[in-house]
Amino acid sequence: MSRPSDLPCAAGVGFKPQHFEAIAAGPQPLGFFEVHAENYMGAGGRPHAQLHSLRAHYALSIHGVGLSIGAAGPLDGDHLARLKHLCNRYDPQSISEHLAWSSHGGTFLNDLLPLPYTQETLAIVCAHVDQVQSTLQRQILLENPATYIRFAQSAIGEADFIAEITRRTGCGLLLDVNNVFVSSVNQGTDPRAYIANFPLDHVREIHLAGHAETHDGGARLLIDAHGAPVADRVMALYAEVIAKAGPIPTLIEWDNDVPAWPQLLAEAQCAQIILDAHQSQGARSATAA
Amino acid sequence: MYAALQRDFAEALTDPGRAVPKDIAACHADDAARRFSIYRNNVAVALIDALAARFPVTQQIVGDDFFKILAHLFIAAHPPASPLMMFYGEDFPGFIASFEAAKDIAYLPDIARLEAARTRAYHAEDAAPLDAAVLRAIEAKDLGDVRFSLHPSVEIIASAYPIVTILAMHMGGIPLAEITDWQSEDALVSRPYLDVDIRCLPPGSAAFLHALSGGHTLAQAVEYAVAAHSDFDLGINLALLFNAGLVTSLSIVSPEDMSP
Amino acid sequence: MMTVKTNVAGISLAGSLATALALLSGPASAGPAPAQPTMDKCYGVSLKAQNDCAAGAGTSCAGTSKADYDPAAWKYVAKGTCETISTPKGMGSLKAKS
Repeated sequence: MSRPSDLPCAAGVGFKPQHFEAIAAGPQPLGFFEVHAENYMGAGGRPHAQLHSLRAHYALSIHGVGLSIGAAGPLDGDHLARLKHLCNRYDPQSISEHLAWSSHGGTFLNDLLPLPYTQETLAIVCAHVDQVQSTLQRQILLENPATYIRFAQSAIGEADFIAEITRRTGCGLLLDVNNVFVSSVNQGTDPRAYIANFPLDHVREIHLAGHAETHDGGARLLIDAHGAPVADRVMALYAEVIAKAGPIPTLIEWDNDVPAWPQLLAEAQCAQIILDAHQSQGARSATAA
Repeated sequence: MYAALQRDFAEALTDPGRAVPKDIAACHADDAARRFSIYRNNVAVALIDALAARFPVTQQIVGDDFFKILAHLFIAAHPPASPLMMFYGEDFPGFIASFEAAKDIAYLPDIARLEAARTRAYHAEDAAPLDAAVLRAIEAKDLGDVRFSLHPSVEIIASAYPIVTILAMHMGGIPLAEITDWQSEDALVSRPYLDVDIRCLPPGSAAFLHALSGGHTLAQAVEYAVAAHSDFDLGINLALLFNAGLVTSLSIVSPEDMSP
Repeated sequence: MMTVKTNVAGISLAGSLATALALLSGPASAGPAPAQPTMDKCYGVSLKAQNDCAAGAGTSCAGTSKADYDPAAWKYVAKGTCETISTPKGMGSLKAKS
C-alpha cells in the first residue's frame, strides 16, 4: 500500500511568509508547518528558499487547494504533475486536498465549491482520489468542506459520504472542526451528531480556524473566513474530538488578517494544551495497564 | 447529471443575471438565493484580490473603485485557467491598454507590465550570478567575442513613460510628486538572489541586453545597442551586468562559431 | 589572418573594460581607482521590490466575509494617485463609462 500520512502528533500552523524571520529566530514549539501547494508551484526564489529552510527543521504538510477533486470532469493532469513534482522536492509528511471543486470547463474559480452527495458523485470523487494517490504513490488526506448551501438531490449524509470514500480508496481524512461547526450552523444541523457519525479512526490531521459571523435574513450565518481566533465553541468541539479519538496532529489556519507570530503561536499552544492533556492521560492509562 | 448541475452552478457563479441552480437548498427555502450569493461573493472577491495583490501600484494609480471595475471586467473576459494565482493576470496589462476609460492614463499599461514582470522574476528559476572577478580575468582583445548567459529572471520593460520613477513613488522609494522630468524609461527587472531588483536602464541598454539574451556576442550586442542609441556606454553596461548579478555564465566564442 | 578587435561601432573595448572594472562594486581592485564616470540619475540604482507585492496572490482555502460583490455600486471616479502624477499632457483622468 502507498505511504501513509505521518505528521507528528502535535500542534502546527499554516506558514505565512511574513512570519519567516520570527520562526527562523529560534526553535518553535510546533510539530509541523503546513503550506498551500499552489503557492510553491513557481520555479524558484524566496518561496522555495523559505520552504526548504522550514523543511530542514520541521515536519511539513502540503495542502492543495486547486486540484478540484470534486469536479465532474477529469482532473487537470498538468496540475497533478506539478503537485507530484512538489512532493518529490520536499518529501512532506502529509499531502491533503479538499472534498470540493474549484475548476470548471478550464476555468479556475478560486473557491472551494460544494457538491451533492450521491452515488454518482461518490464514484467520481473516489476515481479522482484513486488517481491522485496512484500518481503520488502515497496516501492523501481529504478534508470536509465548509458549506453554505445543500443540494436537494443529496441522498447521503456528508459524514457517511466521506466514510465511504475512505473505505473505497484508503485515503486518510483531514477533519476541519471549524468547517463542521460552520456547516452545521448554516445547515441547521447538530455538529456533535456529525462528529459522532464521522470515521474518526481515519483522521490523520485536524484543522482549526476562526470564522466570521453574520446574519442572513435573521438566521445566523457563519463564513469560513480564517481571519480570527478559533471560536470557543469550536475549541470545545475540538476538545471533544480529541477526548474521543485521542491526540491527532492539529493545525491552526489563519489566512486573512494574519496576526503577528506570537498570537498565531499562542493559538497553536491552545490546541497543544488539549493534545497534551490527552497524551498524558493516554500515557497514564498505558502505565496503569 | 452531475456535470449539468456543475455547469449550471459555475455559470450562475460568475453571471449574476442567471438564476440560482434549482437544485440548491438551504434550511429555509427562501434562503437558497442568498446563500448562493456567498459563493458568488467569494469567487468575485478572491479573483479581484488576486489581481490587486499582483498589481498594487496599478490599483493605487486608478484608485480602489476604478480598479474593481477594471478587474471585474477583466475577470469576465479572461477568467483564470490555472490554480496558480500568483501568475493570474498575464493578460491584464493588454486588457488595460484596450480599456477606453483608462486611455487618458497612457502610462498605466506599462506600469501593469512592470508589475507582472516583477512577479515572474520573484518566482523565476534560481541561478547563481557570476562573480565580478570573472570580468577582471578577461582580456580586452577577447571582450568582443564573449557570449553571456543571463539570469532566468531578467526581463526588460521598455516604455515611453517614466515607469520606474512612477513605480518608485508608489513603493515609498521617493515621494509622490509631480514628475518635472517626464522622460521615457526602460526598466530592468531581475532577481539575482531572493529580492527582485527594478532599475532604470541607461540609453541603449535594452537593445544591448536583448541581444545578449538572444545569444549574440558582446561585439554584436554593442552594434545593436549603438544602432538603438548613439549614447550607448559599454563601460557602464558591463559594470551593470555584474553589479546587478545579471550574468550566470560566459564563454569566449571562437571566430568560427559566431552564429548565435 | 585573424584581426584583433579593439573597437566596435566606434567604442573602445579596452577603455570600456577599464571603465567597467572601475565601476564594479564589491572588493576593490588593486591599485589606484581610475576616475569614475558620472552615472546618470537612477541608472544602476536598484529599487528593491517589496516582497509581498512581488510575490503576487497566494491561494486561500478560506471564504471571505467582505461583502464586495455589487459592480453596480462601484464608481468610475478616480480616487487614485493618477491625480497627483502630472504628465506633459496634463493630469491623467479616468473617463466615466459612456
